[in-house]
Amino acid sequence: MNGYGFRHAARMERIKLRSVRSTWWLAIAAVVSMAAAGAGVGLGYRSHTPVATAAQILNNSLGGAIVAQLLLGALGVLVVTGEYGTGMIRSTFAAVPRRRIVLAAKVAVCGGAALTVGLVASFAGYLSGQLAIRGTAIPAASLGDPAILRAVVLTGVYLGATALIGVGIGTIVRHSGAAIGTLFGLMFVPMIAAGLFGESGIAVGRFVPLLMLLNSIAVTSPIPGLFAGWISVLLMCGYAAVAILCGGVLLRYRDS
Amino acid sequence: MIELRELTKRYGDRVAVDGLSVRVQPGVVTGFLGPNGSGKSTTMRMILGLDAPDHGQALIGGVRYPDLSWPLKTVGALLDAGAFHPGRSARAHLAALAASNDIPGPRVEQVLRIVGLSDAATRRAGTYSLGMRQRLGVAVALLGDPGVLLLDEPVNGLDPEGIRWIRDLLRGLAAEGRTVFVSSHLIAEMALTADRLVVIGRGRLLVETTVAELAAGDDSLEDAFFRLTSQATDYRGVGAS
Ligand SMILES: Nc1ncnc2c1ncn2[C@@H]1O[C@H](COP(=O)(O)OP(=O)(O)OP(=O)(O)O)[C@@H](O)[C@H]1O
Ligand SMILES: [Mg+2]
Repeated sequence: MNGYGFRHAARMERIKLRSVRSTWWLAIAAVVSMAAAGAGVGLGYRSHTPVATAAQILNNSLGGAIVAQLLLGALGVLVVTGEYGTGMIRSTFAAVPRRRIVLAAKVAVCGGAALTVGLVASFAGYLSGQLAIRGTAIPAASLGDPAILRAVVLTGVYLGATALIGVGIGTIVRHSGAAIGTLFGLMFVPMIAAGLFGESGIAVGRFVPLLMLLNSIAVTSPIPGLFAGWISVLLMCGYAAVAILCGGVLLRYRDS
Repeated sequence: MIELRELTKRYGDRVAVDGLSVRVQPGVVTGFLGPNGSGKSTTMRMILGLDAPDHGQALIGGVRYPDLSWPLKTVGALLDAGAFHPGRSARAHLAALAASNDIPGPRVEQVLRIVGLSDAATRRAGTYSLGMRQRLGVAVALLGDPGVLLLDEPVNGLDPEGIRWIRDLLRGLAAEGRTVFVSSHLIAEMALTADRLVVIGRGRLLVETTVAELAAGDDSLEDAFFRLTSQATDYRGVGAS
């Protein structure tokens, strides 16, 4: 009875997230892109010599996460900038004037949704890769193998963290195009920059999202020099936390 | 009751609202008049805590807007027609806002009926005409059955039937003892709707009066308005020929 709180804001955000089409399109596209990449990899390796290893198939069939991370990152951005671009943000802040409660609710609702979609997409990539190599000499990768399960689950968590980075950048930048551009830039530019350092680039590269995904998270065993998968995922969550905290500070002082 | 105390807002070196002190009383419709760019919308946004004043404050029943326990149950606001996501249906828009302030679900259908949007409630709000958007905005304002209503140019885009509907609605709400604060630049319309008038120009209070007082002068209401604002009008057109 003593006023609205996080719970109410979260209910509002859940209704908002479900009631725009872009949410569903981006979620479906993320799952489809990972499933398609998994199937493509599996089919490509069917008649490949020498016979591929289970790890090779798994690592490559999670490659669709490169696309899925952009889609879910955009989902996170739009949860915030979609409101600034349309004027909806004024209705939202008039209903819940303590703006950080709104941000926290967006983080919880969008993060939860993106984590779910990310896990589904990751499993879809794994499964379609496995289905596509059935009946060949290529050994199946079992989810009973801890290394395999870890790679699939961590890839899903990575995707969820990407969406939260999107929420943070969206809150800071407020403009859909600029925020999505910033997010994509942050995903790709550091990777190219790390490549310029050659051998020593790995010291930097192990902090770079896309390199972590391809070499530490979505693989059965990380490339030497990179962090273990779970540390890489924690780093991603740390980046998300920093972006969200910066957004939260700015939110307080800016007019809407 | 709404109380503005020396409310001031600057954008860069332009002063949008300049030391505005006004009390808006319950039980009557108070019209908020002023030429284009005189600071009406800015004042409304500051009352709602959307823009931070550089000086002074706006209080609703003695409380700052951000400190309200249930904002939508206390103040209902219609800002620019378009404070919604075009991809979301009117019903989902209202349901989301209702959830944020613990307003029961049936109230959503009720306000949709009041504003006449029941049949269009599942359509995406982006497909609405200007008048329909305005009605959705009014539905949001009424959602929490608030004691204070703040409407920025509610008759914008409404057809004659809609204008009369708004007029009767606002007068009815005021008659129930609510505080109703409505901005407009249509002096003739305000003369029919409002009891009290607050007139501003260049962000400053020009006069607080009643429609009856203004009409008692020897010129028309429109002339009286021009006389009041002539020294404080920034944007004025000229003949095209
Ligand atoms: N976000 C902003 N940034 C910069 N200047 C602004 C901003 N919002 C309003 N202004 C300026 O503040 C002044 C007051 O604007 P406001 O919109 O409050 O006027 P108004 O009385 O609502 O006008 P109208 O009758 O045309 O709706 C104008 O000079 C406007 O240009
Ligand atoms: Mg205005």
